[in-house]
Amino acid sequence: MYETTCECVSPQEQRLYDAIAGREDRFRKSHSRVFRLLERFEGQKPRIDIERALYFTQSMRETEGQPLVLRWARALRHIAQNITVYVQEDQLLLGRAGCDGRYGILYPELDGDFLDIAVRELPARATSPAVITPEDAKRVVEEIAPYWKGKTYHEALNAALPPEVHKLTYDDPQGLISRFIVNETSSFRSSIQWVHDYEKILKRGFNGIKREAEEKLAALDPLSPKDICEKKPFLEAVVIVCDAIVLWAGRHAVLARKMAAKETDPARRAELLRMAENAEHVPGEPARDFHEACQSQWFTQMFSRLEQKTGTTISNGRMDQYFYPYYKQGISNGSLTDGQAIELLECMWVGMAEFIDMYISPTGGAFNEGYAHWEAVTVGGQTPDGRDAANDLTHLILKSKREFPLHYPDLAARIHSRAPERYLWDVAETIKYGSGFPKLINDEEVVPLYVSKGATFEEALDYAVSGCTEARMPNRDTYTSGGAYVNFAAAVEMVLRNGRMKKYGDLVLGVETGDPRDFQTWDEFWNAYVQQHILFLKTAFVQQHIIIALRARHFAQPMGSAMHDLCMKHCIDLHQPRIPDGIDLGYFEYIGLGTVVDSLAAVKKLVFEEKKLTMAQLVAAIDADFEGHEDVRALLRSAPCYGNNDSHADAIGRAIDKISLEYANKYSMKDLGMHNDVRYVPFTSHVPFGKVVSATPNGRAEWFPLSDGTSASHGADVNGPTAVMLSNYNTKNMGMRDRAARMVNIKFTPKCLEGDQGTEKLVSFIRTFCDLKLWHVQFNVISRDTLLAAQKDPQKYRNLIVRIAGYSAYFVDLSPDLQNDLIARTEHGVL
Amino acid sequence: MNSHEDRQKTGLVFNVQKYSVHDGPGIRTIVFLKGCPLSCRWCSNPESQRHRPELAYNPGRCLTLNKCVRCLEVCMRNALIRKEDASLRIAREHCEGCHMPCADACPANSLLVYGRERSVDDVLAVVEQDEAFYARSSGGLTVSGGEPLFQGNFVTALLREARRRRYRTAVETCGMASAALVREVAPLLNYVLFDIKIMDSAAHKAQTGFANEQILKNFSILAEEFSDLPLMARTPVIPGFNDTAEAIAAIASFIAPYPRVTYELLPYHRLGTQKYHFLDRTPPMGNVTLDKNRMPRLQSVAEGILRARVQNLQQPKTPSS
Repeated sequence: MYETTCECVSPQEQRLYDAIAGREDRFRKSHSRVFRLLERFEGQKPRIDIERALYFTQSMRETEGQPLVLRWARALRHIAQNITVYVQEDQLLLGRAGCDGRYGILYPELDGDFLDIAVRELPARATSPAVITPEDAKRVVEEIAPYWKGKTYHEALNAALPPEVHKLTYDDPQGLISRFIVNETSSFRSSIQWVHDYEKILKRGFNGIKREAEEKLAALDPLSPKDICEKKPFLEAVVIVCDAIVLWAGRHAVLARKMAAKETDPARRAELLRMAENAEHVPGEPARDFHEACQSQWFTQMFSRLEQKTGTTISNGRMDQYFYPYYKQGISNGSLTDGQAIELLECMWVGMAEFIDMYISPTGGAFNEGYAHWEAVTVGGQTPDGRDAANDLTHLILKSKREFPLHYPDLAARIHSRAPERYLWDVAETIKYGSGFPKLINDEEVVPLYVSKGATFEEALDYAVSGCTEARMPNRDTYTSGGAYVNFAAAVEMVLRNGRMKKYGDLVLGVETGDPRDFQTWDEFWNAYVQQHILFLKTAFVQQHIIIALRARHFAQPMGSAMHDLCMKHCIDLHQPRIPDGIDLGYFEYIGLGTVVDSLAAVKKLVFEEKKLTMAQLVAAIDADFEGHEDVRALLRSAPCYGNNDSHADAIGRAIDKISLEYANKYSMKDLGMHNDVRYVPFTSHVPFGKVVSATPNGRAEWFPLSDGTSASHGADVNGPTAVMLSNYNTKNMGMRDRAARMVNIKFTPKCLEGDQGTEKLVSFIRTFCDLKLWHVQFNVISRDTLLAAQKDPQKYRNLIVRIAGYSAYFVDLSPDLQNDLIARTEHGVL
Repeated sequence: MNSHEDRQKTGLVFNVQKYSVHDGPGIRTIVFLKGCPLSCRWCSNPESQRHRPELAYNPGRCLTLNKCVRCLEVCMRNALIRKEDASLRIAREHCEGCHMPCADACPANSLLVYGRERSVDDVLAVVEQDEAFYARSSGGLTVSGGEPLFQGNFVTALLREARRRRYRTAVETCGMASAALVREVAPLLNYVLFDIKIMDSAAHKAQTGFANEQILKNFSILAEEFSDLPLMARTPVIPGFNDTAEAIAAIASFIAPYPRVTYELLPYHRLGTQKYHFLDRTPPMGNVTLDKNRMPRLQSVAEGILRARVQNLQQPKTPSS
């Protein structure tokens, strides 16, 4: 066995080294417009733009007592009439939700009660900081926040949680500090991820939807109280928002014409006039060509960001499908070139990059480090009748991803068993570029699972990736509140401390399962764990029950509902808990799978099977955070670990998964009326969650991050990437439908994927991922040295993009904790 | 030999490595057998050379005797001596014939045994785990070493059983084996990686312990008698030994007559140095490094000779082929 030792770096790393050496980016010439656009905000800290919050609050103050959906529509109209509109230099698309540069906007309906405190702290916080001008901060404190005191969703939830649920949820009476055990997420987002049916807007326009609403209004039974009290306000709201977005677009057209009149450069003048014409036509009317289609989608997307903050920004859906007819038409009649198509798409990417999905609450910030964003653009996959869907536009979007030097948009590639080789090669080459795109989602898992949850094959085959790892069916899915993030490593700690945690002292948080030193058998230990686990599940489900009822009283989404078949059919807002024929695909998160499995596997093997360790020794070592017990720690680390395709460890993982699935199966539909499925996607929560958990029996030191998603614990996966995939497969209960996404991170060294041979092997790796029916996988292709160098010299490496948790971010934007977490993930190199 | 008998056969294995992507087609698992007839000075796997279990000590992982004395508690031969910095020195003369309980006791994997007797069944159970990946990548099992043919009975049993289970098989060999064994193993293989180190037999003997006639003969047997079997010749480029245009040209010329043989140069590296120290041995090559700039030149010398071969091959063939 010999190894070649020549250095090999990913194209992204090469690009960084070129920049450090002062060489011109090799894609600059062919993408000069977007490079100019990017340079205006590169390295900027995001600014908070308060206009949306201000106008929203003004309107809500005026409409108290009216039906919520109408209030929301009127607030949107007020925003559309008053918010500043912009035409940016060099841009070809119109429409943004705030000021020039990198910006974020506020949603006081979520967190207005502590917005005044937050704006003061925001500029200085460690995770995802932002700037706000003193005048704007003053207006937040004086004009916005006071109105919301006592009215926000967050306060209502805090007051509604029963004490035994509250104490596992929050660490303070006001509910501002998370306990990080059964963490609620519904108060920093009004819904989990969502995708609109953009195709509907491209084909019918908002005027088409408005006509439908007007016809329905005319057809209402004038004597029916239900029609009068429920359907009528909904339909009126739809009419108002359809008009609002057209009005907003029209204001852009006026400005663009004004600027064109003053413009001296004839080329730019022509562009401005074209932009004005577009904005006069879409999104009210159907799009007639590729440029209009892009503009229509972009107005829709940006206006929906003004409407609401979902769990992530609203995703982009299957862009290579709904844009394709316009692209094809342009190419075949000669009015569009590939270069122009790419440029328009990249103008969109720039707009996405400027918008920062702000998390105002400290918990939200810690969960979504590095300005998390999931505006997922989906490519590939299958058509609704099950044929391969990849087309020329798919390849163009992948190409743009390799050449556009920024981590926007989040890109997701659907994989299925008959995906053509060309598509997979293109996907693999893009992964090799090294910035973490695209993430892969597996049709062979998602489609049958969604059919089993009630979708038709056509709907399931047409799913769009949404947010980090979700899949949405835009006309069948309905809104779902953000579910609980559950720290199951805390359950292990509670077994070892008789229902208590070191971080929280003598407070009894869990079940008092007794002194573990009295346990005689593994079964006793396991049963104690199960009791804690079930308590957490119960807490999460009670939370959810309360959330579902509360949410409908605090949020409405007239624009999103206008775009949804079922909402229009039944005249019900998307936020209402029951929409006939809807499929509510919610979930809660299992956080710390690797940490928990490794801990239980170590206890089982070392204490009860091999008896190399007594429980007293284990407890003493953990109490001391292994100080003076280094040999015990080493022994614990030598036990079987998740991520190695080890049957001892993986069997425990599957048993744990099953407890959650069975609970979900029993109480989801019956009690909650929704699917509250088991998901394993941490965002960046495994870092703050780790900070409340003391030492664990897998040898993890106290306060250290937990394992992320369904990845192995840090450095525990010593058998290579195939074993990581197989452990994932082994711990799934394939016979049950109550499972949701599982996220897997794989880190490769560039050397491992070098050349065509490397690409070919990555393609077969992806095909096997598909065969194994794993939900998701994403890759970091980067050498450890580059990460270490970036940590030392962040200025030089400010463009380095890394994969976090279903999204990519600038490495230097991450907290030191998360940077170290990334570096510690096992790197699979040349063996 | 029937399947049942093959499955019970045991051999001395020192490592099984998953997800190997540079040793044969596709995604592969490599089984490393212990023991090699050659003793190349540049060997990067010193733990592979001797055909018996060996105790290794990695001081970097040792918790030190200040924190852990589990090894001392089980050593019955006073073979573990405390050094001043509380790490260990192994008095290896006392370890002869010991079953090395110290390695089992070590929680930190600082003391470890290279080489365990394992059955064909046991080894293939590990190989089988990555079957899903072989199917998609045309990968499979690669037997390496040491010299895989050094444990002739075991390797034939392993390969025969692997083929019964329809795995694609490969070996990485130094070629030093009996012609009979080569003829016995070749039909069990789908791919061979064959080292040719230098054509000068005296130099070969000086640096590896053996002359190269038998090796070259075995190569010819594989290339001529098993012409359907893909064969890749590989040369580790070693500074001061074969890192010259002449040496590489001689090897390429030797291979050139066999049209289906592919060829690869592997630059010398020093990644094995640490393992010499774990075994209390001195790396024979010292600090010598390879001048990397030579590789492209040597590469083009080899390519020049082999390209000429391709051109010759492109002459029209008879219609029957």
